[in-house]
Amino acid sequence: MAASWSPRLADLWLALPVGAQDALVALALLVPGLLVGVFAVRGFRPWPLARAMLWRFRGANAVFVALIAVTMALGAGLTAQERALRQGSARAAERFDLILGAPGSEVSLVLAAVYLQPMDLPLLPGSVYAEVAADPEVDFAAPIAFGDSVDGAPVVGTTAEFVAHLAGDLAEGRMFAAHEEAVAGAYAPVRLGDALEPAHGQGEAAEHGGHGGTTYAVVGRMTPTGSPWDRAILVPVEAVWKIHAFPTGHSPERAEQIGPPFDPEWLPGTPAILVRADQVWANYALKDRYTRTDVMGVFPGTVLAGLYGLLREVREAMSLMALITQGLVVVAVLAGLTLLVRVFARGLALLRALGAPRRFVLAVVWSYAAALVGLGAALGLGLAWIVATLLSRIVTARTEVLVTARIGWTEAQLVAGFASLALLLALLPAILAGRRPPLEDLRA
Amino acid sequence: MADPLPLRVEGLAVRTRDGRRIVEVPRLDVPAGGTLAVTGPSGAGKSSLLHALAGLLRPSEGRVLWGGTDLAALPEAARARFRREQIGLVFQDFLLFDELGAVGNAAIAAAFAPSRERAAIRSQAEGWLGQLGLGGRAEPSVRTYSGGERQRVAVARALAHSPAIVLADEPTASLDRASADCLIDNLLAVVAGEGCTLIAVTHDAGLARRLGRELRLADGRVMESALG
Repeated sequence: MAASWSPRLADLWLALPVGAQDALVALALLVPGLLVGVFAVRGFRPWPLARAMLWRFRGANAVFVALIAVTMALGAGLTAQERALRQGSARAAERFDLILGAPGSEVSLVLAAVYLQPMDLPLLPGSVYAEVAADPEVDFAAPIAFGDSVDGAPVVGTTAEFVAHLAGDLAEGRMFAAHEEAVAGAYAPVRLGDALEPAHGQGEAAEHGGHGGTTYAVVGRMTPTGSPWDRAILVPVEAVWKIHAFPTGHSPERAEQIGPPFDPEWLPGTPAILVRADQVWANYALKDRYTRTDVMGVFPGTVLAGLYGLLREVREAMSLMALITQGLVVVAVLAGLTLLVRVFARGLALLRALGAPRRFVLAVVWSYAAALVGLGAALGLGLAWIVATLLSRIVTARTEVLVTARIGWTEAQLVAGFASLALLLALLPAILAGRRPPLEDLRA
Repeated sequence: MADPLPLRVEGLAVRTRDGRRIVEVPRLDVPAGGTLAVTGPSGAGKSSLLHALAGLLRPSEGRVLWGGTDLAALPEAARARFRREQIGLVFQDFLLFDELGAVGNAAIAAAFAPSRERAAIRSQAEGWLGQLGLGGRAEPSVRTYSGGERQRVAVARALAHSPAIVLADEPTASLDRASADCLIDNLLAVVAGEGCTLIAVTHDAGLARRLGRELRLADGRVMESALG
């Protein structure tokens, strides 16, 4: 009979929406603490006296609540921020199916191609590009070229096909159609019609005027991608090669051509080729095919998973530190409560003298402690939201990866578990208060 | 109000752990609804006797019989229940919660009474406050009350649950003469009207005289009892 219930419960559980499952888990975590409250307070009305204690020790109580709130906010904020960073960085890499580069560091290749981080990458020869572009399983192969910037925004040379794949229809304007035209990322610091003079290099090392007055006219703007490409200036890859005095990838007769087909003997080296297969499964075949001594194929998702694995260890260490901090805060608050209860001992002794049972004294002290825990937890969740929002803005500004941290059910479960444990532990000072001999305290 | 209870004390002895005498009362009888002053110098054992009569202190020997109930033989939880149901306590230092108002203090017993009794306790508390001249006071806290007013709130608290017994430990000690006389008038009128058994530990000769019966203690022993 019992065995027949388990599959039914399992089916019922699986049939629930994920949000409902998360809510039930949070509730389940809170139940032990709430049950303690039911046991402690059942049949009594301790709240007026608990409120008296809250008011009498309001200074110390404010410190306790702040301690609880800050420690919960740190734990919840950390969890939310780490999840948001993983999701944001994964979202940024969504449109990059397969990246080919010269053998070397896969992480550097992904950081450069997906996240536009300045990296010193070896170049793939034009013959490799030609081979890839001619592969029947390749839908498109877009070479990219780096090296310049405009007011800190990287100038990236690529093909119109890749821009359309990355961001879909443009938000405004049109696609570049000539060497002197550019499409801006969604949040690039330029306007339609602006004439941009690229500096050679990026950041503080950028060399202004290094390209003899060549300018790009902004003719279009992409829709947001949630990646550093939102701040980039995209130009025809031919233009970047040309501005750096390389062949444009086309024979002299077709020197002004934009986009494929390229002529292999006129292709300069390229740090990366962004490849899309015509079938999803073909990506794996292409990666195998182009992982050899002269070229390596990289799935950005695989590289990110490896980085997340490394970050997970760091996160677990930080989570452990956060847990330890929370534990220390609970111990400190309970120790403080025990001391404060001794200050209030005469009042509690009076209650015993008036005939209150020990459990009523326990109920008063526990209700007081529970109010502090409840206030701290609620404030902590609110503070976690503020912390996560602020951190998201900082991380987004620094990495240009769109990171939007949200306080979700994971954080609610964390707070519920912590609060439940604190409510259980709050029984300790409450039990100690109930065991004090009333006469001694009355005479004090 | 509960039916008044007589008191009989037999062979009561309260001693310290090392056997030193705190108070010994071989025999004491107070009729139901009667009054008694317990007097004597400081350290005579007056408060210890009162605590034993209230069940706050378990005597080393003897019996404390309130009606048919030997309080000294009951476990701690049962003694607390007896106090809750039958005894009203008034203390020298008032012992009010400053964060509560007059009604909140006077009706404090409702917080731990069975739910069916809460409304009655609150109603009684408000009634006693009115009779003691504190009706309708709207202050959220008794912090601003005078000593006499605070002790009257304490008396209302002692009576709110309709006890059969009122035990007062130096009820006028913290009051000026005029307030003390006023409190004595109130307390005696209330107790007489309700028929409670009243026992008060006191240094106040005026109160002792008005209570009629007196048990005088010194060095933990009964020196003199005028129980006529």
